[in-house]
Amino acid sequence: MRVECIARSLAGWATASALLLLSGAPSAQQQPAPAAVPICNACHGPAGNSQIPLTPSIAGQPKLFVENQLVLIREGLRDVPQMKEIVAGMSDETIIALAQHFASQTPVLKAGAANLEKARPGAATASARLCGTCHLSDYSGQKQVPRIAGQDETYLVHSMKQFRDNPGPGRDTIMSAALYGLSDVDLINLAHYLATFKP
Amino acid sequence: MNTRIALAAATLFSLVACQTTSTSTPASVAPAVAAPPTAAATAAPPPIWQQGRTPDQGTSKLAPHAGRMTATPVSEIPLSNFKLPPGFKAEVWATGMPGVRSMARGDSGKIYIGTRGIGRVYEVTDTGAQRTNRVVVDKLVQPAGVAVRNGSLYVVSIDKALRYDGIEQNPTVAPVDMTAAFALPKEQHHNWKYIAFGPDNKLYVPFGAPCNICETPSGEYAQIRRYNADGSGMEVIARGVRNTQGFAWHPTTKEMWFTDHGRDWMGDNEPEDELNRMSKTGANYGFPYCHANGIPDKDIKKANPCDGVTMPVTTMGPHTAVMGVHFYTGTMFPAEYRNVMFVARKGSWNRTQKSGYDVVTVRTDAEGKNAKVEPFMTGFLDASNDAFSGRPTYMLQLPDGSLLVSDEQLGAIYRITYAR
Repeated sequence: MRVECIARSLAGWATASALLLLSGAPSAQQQPAPAAVPICNACHGPAGNSQIPLTPSIAGQPKLFVENQLVLIREGLRDVPQMKEIVAGMSDETIIALAQHFASQTPVLKAGAANLEKARPGAATASARLCGTCHLSDYSGQKQVPRIAGQDETYLVHSMKQFRDNPGPGRDTIMSAALYGLSDVDLINLAHYLATFKP
Repeated sequence: MNTRIALAAATLFSLVACQTTSTSTPASVAPAVAAPPTAAATAAPPPIWQQGRTPDQGTSKLAPHAGRMTATPVSEIPLSNFKLPPGFKAEVWATGMPGVRSMARGDSGKIYIGTRGIGRVYEVTDTGAQRTNRVVVDKLVQPAGVAVRNGSLYVVSIDKALRYDGIEQNPTVAPVDMTAAFALPKEQHHNWKYIAFGPDNKLYVPFGAPCNICETPSGEYAQIRRYNADGSGMEVIARGVRNTQGFAWHPTTKEMWFTDHGRDWMGDNEPEDELNRMSKTGANYGFPYCHANGIPDKDIKKANPCDGVTMPVTTMGPHTAVMGVHFYTGTMFPAEYRNVMFVARKGSWNRTQKSGYDVVTVRTDAEGKNAKVEPFMTGFLDASNDAFSGRPTYMLQLPDGSLLVSDEQLGAIYRITYAR
């Protein structure tokens, strides 16, 4: 996985460099986001649809959600070591353009039907914890709240465990509260339900 | 930009892996959802955000509005929307500072500005022709409170109290960490600060209720305190204050007036936010039992809930989110504005139809009674589609008598002037 990821990174870099060479300075300044996009896609997958476990899909995420996360990571308020260097010094204009780009990409649902033994209790948990209130009933997200429908399943488990187990400064207290008291099995089932959710 | 992108690309060579990222929504802007029914069964402490929401409100889509963390270009600031009384004019004074809230002016004229989610304190320098800004400090946990006294900048975040001595002359001065002296409690909710020095040279600091509605978990919350400037000599001077985000002292009576946010999930029209007057220290302003001008809470009950409660000077509208207050003492505005209070209402989220999103004036009689609330600066809200473009939060009077108004949503500061 690591090799594949670096290979993708290099491919992305090569593409980005080529774009820079082809486009020249003026147009690159006007449209920085498309030039940077291959770098994002190197890890986040084609058009932002993740192919790598534990890496989130960013295709079709709400624009404001992407903006906020890039700013939080840039400012060091959210610690994501893999992202830190990439967003260091990134301008707000680039962040907005990247967010616009990924918000307009189509999220691709992964193949594979839901395992109902996991999806059913997962759906019950989603209903009991009112996930759809903020993430919307189709879990497509809104404004600062992310899309979780079709998100990478391993990432959902990982992220929800972080919210549940590590509340504290810089963590979303609302998510921590929403997940309070859920077992690992609850989270695994919930992640499966959301990852395989079809509107 | 080319260089930046190339650098970003180059850094990929140093990446060792791409397997994991972490969290999702930011803490400062996430909306509220209703109680998980299983919470009681697992003996969970009730989540701070859920108190008071009834089952029939479970499907409500009302939620706090998301802030904006990126700079808003001047071209996207709808200056022409603003409406002011005749003779007044608004201009865009400074931009490009996401999340600006309360402002404090140094002796040399630099303006310091606190924020919440983006964790920064800004400094604005006015060269006359234009304003430049820089980030004084970042990566703090909601450093909303800023004040200046004797050449020192005071910054109070949820978990830190810092002092920057002589910062106007020495921009890189290291802060003095006064956190231990201030004994800031651990709960974060409603504990971002407005701070200000009073006429007694004490630093006034609020400690909000860490919930929508609750019996406070300890005696450290739902109160206003004052300290000596170094954090010593703490006194609790008001209790039953749910969440004040602004206060000021009347120019002649020297009494402290302060705003207080009413609770959520009790309907569209009550309880209203409050404007209070502190005619003595030690008074109780009602939370959690008694709201606004005498409305008992529907969840936290006791006999005679409003007995002994100091009632507000006036209520300020339902869910309007009353923020900064300012008694106008300048001479640029017409004489009828002298000692009149300006109140910024950031605007509602917990209401079907939006309320607030303006700056109002409050006039009272000499006893501080018979308050009259009138619109002053409007146009942040488009009533035709119930959409807002900006959110006014605080005022700062400049030496020439003009008034700065900060817009947290657009990261901009407007300047209000008057000419006949």
